[in-house]
Amino acid sequence: MLKVSGLKVRYGNREALHGIDLEVGTGEIVTLVGSNGAGKTTTLKAISGILRATGGQVEFGGERIDRLSPHAIIARGVVHVPEGRLLFADMTVMEHLELGALRAPSGKAGYARRLDWVFELFPVLKERVAQRAGTMSGGQQQMVAIARGLMAEPKCLMLDEPSLGLAPIVVDTLADTILTLHRAGIAILLVEQRVDLALRLADRAYVLETGRVVLSGAADALAEDDRVREAYLGA
Amino acid sequence: MIKGRLPLVVAVLGILPFVVGNAYLQHMLVLWAIYALLALSLNMIVGYLGELTFGHAAFFGIGAYTSAILSMNYGLPVWLGPFAAAIVAAFFGAVIGYVALRIVGPQFAILTLGFGSILYTITNYWVDLTRGPMGISNIPPFSLPGLDIDFTRADRMYYVALVVLLLVAYGCRALMTSRTGRAFIAVRENAPLAASTGIDVFHTKLLGFTIATALAGVGGALYGHYLRVITPDLMSLQYVAALIIMVIVGGKGTIIGPIIGAGIYVALLEALRVVGSLRLVVFAALLTLCVIFLPGGLVSLWRRYAGRQAAGGAS
Ligand SMILES: Nc1ncnc2c1ncn2[C@@H]1O[C@H](COP(=O)(O)OP(=O)(O)OP(=O)(O)O)[C@@H](O)[C@H]1O
Ligand SMILES: [Mg+2]
Repeated sequence: MLKVSGLKVRYGNREALHGIDLEVGTGEIVTLVGSNGAGKTTTLKAISGILRATGGQVEFGGERIDRLSPHAIIARGVVHVPEGRLLFADMTVMEHLELGALRAPSGKAGYARRLDWVFELFPVLKERVAQRAGTMSGGQQQMVAIARGLMAEPKCLMLDEPSLGLAPIVVDTLADTILTLHRAGIAILLVEQRVDLALRLADRAYVLETGRVVLSGAADALAEDDRVREAYLGA
Repeated sequence: MIKGRLPLVVAVLGILPFVVGNAYLQHMLVLWAIYALLALSLNMIVGYLGELTFGHAAFFGIGAYTSAILSMNYGLPVWLGPFAAAIVAAFFGAVIGYVALRIVGPQFAILTLGFGSILYTITNYWVDLTRGPMGISNIPPFSLPGLDIDFTRADRMYYVALVVLLLVAYGCRALMTSRTGRAFIAVRENAPLAASTGIDVFHTKLLGFTIATALAGVGGALYGHYLRVITPDLMSLQYVAALIIMVIVGGKGTIIGPIIGAGIYVALLEALRVVGSLRLVVFAALLTLCVIFLPGGLVSLWRRYAGRQAAGGAS
């Protein structure tokens, strides 16, 4: 469904991605792991059109999307939930959800249904629709960020380090949420530093090091791989 | 801030000309209302979109010239002038915005300065159309179809300007509570994040910029038909600075702020007439002090005060 080939991105004259190949199939959970500065965020930003690729291409559903603007990419169903659960501090939960729905293919007609679904997924948010995002806890902010992404009706949802800074129990809930989305048929590209968690959830995985894919394969096979165990699982 | 007290505020504004009862002060009231309208239009760019522009006076001038020339040379009824001014100013705004808004931040401000000076220079030198530095005089006063009202009188013109001002203030409020307005704020707060939630950042900015320039055009038209003489100086940096001072000193990103800022500007302009061009120094100092000590403008004083009251009441 999502196919990235030879993707290159540079910041100024320093190349951060040196030709990434990766694929996310329909309904798959794929994880992209790697240490700090490997280029995970850069990859997601390039797919979602926030950064321009300097080489290679991105296809979604057979269509090239790497020259499209971010809002056009979202409208096709590729939705990015950025790192650091970025929110507009002064906007309420509801305002975030409305913003998220801006490019949803089903438009106004599907809005109420989607809202119900999001509230079913995150009941806490329903009670807090009028609360300003800046006043919420980290876990709740992450919920708002994901809920905002879901309001856009993603076919492929890209989550950038959703577990970062969350309490262990909240991370468990998050993992459940990701599996629920998976069962709802949404393909997920998950970027995680918590490699154990990511490999447990994912069908397939890519390991990124300094802008290159160095390993890829079935998630359970990689979890057994000595190099991965040594470098990322602390074994 | 004036929620619930709005009818009272409107009533007070409505009887102001009678209260002051003096033609000179009434004249200042008209200037205030027109400047407030212009300040609100600049506020859309500076306050809501978060971009600084040094070109806003050019659109004010375009509006004034459009309405004056169309009504004098082409028989356009004067009351249609502000509409025509809005359209022509918006056209220039859209074209300039289309080019300049691809860049944001300081470079955008510099570009608007460049475009503003180009428009100023053209107005100065296109003597056939604008009569150049001599300006245009004997502009017909404002008029309304079927009504025999003498709008050369300040106490009459005041109501025209006030109605337009209130409409624009109301429109700004409605806009900022709409989805479009929320997109403005999202773009101002964090453009990359806004883009990643699906907002078309460029077109959102272009829309805001174009609306703002259209409103500046309306202000220019009213100004021209009121003062009945205009010169290219309307487009000069002096007016750019004046509008920026009104917005920043009053409080950018609010509706009441720029309106109050315009009032302060007009009042100080008159009060300081005796000191001549030293006025400019005073304005510059005021702007500087505000930026340093009161970045939210004068309205933020009220917020602090109201916040303290609320805290005091709770304890
Ligand atoms: N805005 C930027 N300007 C310049 N260089 C950048 C920028 N953002 C990232 N980089 C560089 O690009 C490389 C990849 O960064 P990226 O943020 O994609 O890594 P990451 O894998 O997401 O890391 P982390 O785990 O810390 O989030 C790093 O070397 C980083 O320093
Ligand atoms: Mg990252």
